[in-house]
Amino acid sequence: MTKTRPSGLELRGLTVLRGGRRVLHKVSVGVRPGETVVVVGPNGAGKTTLLEATIGAVPLAAGDVAVDGERLRGLAPRARAFHFLAAEGEPPSEVRVATLLDRGRRVDPQVAVDIETRLGLTALRDAPAGTLSRGERRRMLLYEALVSAKPYLILDEPTGVFDPLQLVGMISLFRECAGRGTGLLLSVHQMSDAEALASRILILGAGRVLACDTIEGLRIRAGVMPAASLQEVFLALLREEPRAPA
Amino acid sequence: MLRRELALVLRARVTWFSGAAAALLVGHGFVLAIDLFTAGSRSVAASALMSREFDPLLGVVRPTLGGLYLALSLFGPLLGARCLAVEKDRRTFHTLVLATGSVPRLVARKWLSGCAGVLLPWAAAVGLLLLWRALGGHLQVRETIAALTGYLLYGLFATSLGVAAAAFTRGFAQAATTALLAVALTWAIDASEGFSALAWLGGAAAWSPTTYLRAFEQGIFDIGACGWFCGATIGTLVLACVGCRFDLRGGRRGIAVGLGVVVLIVASASMRAVPGAWDLTESARRSLPPAAAAELRQLPGTMEIVANLDREDSRRRQLESDLLAKLRLARPDLRVRWPPDERNAPGAFSQDEAYGRIVIRLGERSLETTSTSRRELTTLIFQLAGKALPDWSQPEYPGYPLVVEGRSRQLVLVACYLVLPLTFVVLGLLLTSTRRKTR
Repeated sequence: MTKTRPSGLELRGLTVLRGGRRVLHKVSVGVRPGETVVVVGPNGAGKTTLLEATIGAVPLAAGDVAVDGERLRGLAPRARAFHFLAAEGEPPSEVRVATLLDRGRRVDPQVAVDIETRLGLTALRDAPAGTLSRGERRRMLLYEALVSAKPYLILDEPTGVFDPLQLVGMISLFRECAGRGTGLLLSVHQMSDAEALASRILILGAGRVLACDTIEGLRIRAGVMPAASLQEVFLALLREEPRAPA
Repeated sequence: MLRRELALVLRARVTWFSGAAAALLVGHGFVLAIDLFTAGSRSVAASALMSREFDPLLGVVRPTLGGLYLALSLFGPLLGARCLAVEKDRRTFHTLVLATGSVPRLVARKWLSGCAGVLLPWAAAVGLLLLWRALGGHLQVRETIAALTGYLLYGLFATSLGVAAAAFTRGFAQAATTALLAVALTWAIDASEGFSALAWLGGAAAWSPTTYLRAFEQGIFDIGACGWFCGATIGTLVLACVGCRFDLRGGRRGIAVGLGVVVLIVASASMRAVPGAWDLTESARRSLPPAAAAELRQLPGTMEIVANLDREDSRRRQLESDLLAKLRLARPDLRVRWPPDERNAPGAFSQDEAYGRIVIRLGERSLETTSTSRRELTTLIFQLAGKALPDWSQPEYPGYPLVVEGRSRQLVLVACYLVLPLTFVVLGLLLTSTRRKTR
């Protein structure tokens, strides 16, 4: 029997301490190429910390991050593997949209032009980021992520600022991105967004994994009706989980 | 990616407004220099002998560059810090590091874009020196270029300080404070120069940019000074790279910072030791007479001068500028010792009977004198070598007095206090126009 190398991104037992407080406790999850794993949880559950720990921006007290079975050490392998977007990230207000678009087109012009058109950035080409609305600025950063051609996108609350119409477009872009083989690890606040996007959903509570499964799997685990929304599943799982000690 | 970084600097109002403020500082230095030069020039109109003292490099270029020094010290670190700190403030730092894939490349781009902003005050100084030329003032191209090169190197170093400060801090406010503290530290070192009580800081002078700017201000292109600026800039940028490595934590980060500091020290110390300096001044007026300089180069053995003069003694400054600076051009291997600096109790040395004595050593032989006269000391050096003093004649520097008054002075005032700063403001407003253009 031949041993096959594990494929995809693996977060293995990530533990993060902040000021002596355990903000992540032995969190393990995998993201396969083409898969979208959405992290949900109440405020302070450790969603942002998990994403930052993945890219190495937060020191780990225990655990490691591996891609295709190789533990990531140093910045270079992380830079090859990840594109990261912070929750409150804003493009510098002096930079014009065109600067971003021209750079994006260097990787895969066909895909880049399609994405910029669908994000509505082509019409804003000559505008500096400082003159754009919050949603438009967010779309600039998401454009960078979607054209980056990195194997994994680590996006913290990428959908938070969009109206329902834009959200539909955004979700379709994320799905296409996953369809091209990119693994997505996202954190979102809106359960409906998570439901629409996720291949699997990771529910965090007080820094611990409460559950990680497909929506159907989570429904069974939570013992709710098969037609129950993720919101109901989430609340049921939170209710059954005892509060973790600090 | 550099286009993005340049946009961050050149499309920011803060760059152009600080350029305008810097232009005011440089312009003010220029006006004061011209007024002083004019006042002196009026009194020497009838005397050719006195007019020789009117050196535009020292009388106009250097004071103008004094304003530039202040502008670069204040705005260089701020502009350098802003380039990187803005990414931390806007939470795009991690994104950018991962997108660039190489921290040195990112730091180099940030530094280069910061340098573009720092060029504004430097360009203001160049513009004003051209105005001096247009008013009929004399500027010798080579010596002026040497002086401007020194300040360009200083600007690049000041920018790297800002980038490094931003790499280690959380945002612009912290970065700006840290960078300005670093600049203030070099000012503290400079302040120690004239005080014997601060002689213990003497060794630190090797870490102040002012020490290395002096040669350039004199119209001398000193490879060692150039090397120090390059080494210090490279070392500071290496430190910035360590600061940007967000994946390094705890002990590993400490070790990396330690290694960065070692690189900074080794790079600047080794590059400043590169010998070689050229006197680019008109009539080689910063050098000893040509025949004496040529002979000095040929003298065998190591040369050392031990001067028992305190920091507060005016003879020490005279000796330094009148002889030692010129001697170093001919003999880069010259060693100079100041025994009062090596004493633990400042001031006590002036009671010593050795005080005021200057010992000259050439190889194994030595002579002593209390004179600080350039000619006499040079004669003693040749005496040690068993030779007579060579021909002491030097090409005459004619001097270039110029009276700038009336409409010319008004033109200078308008240019310095209005046109130049306003040019930066208008250019800034044009380039940073936030009118939203869509199509």
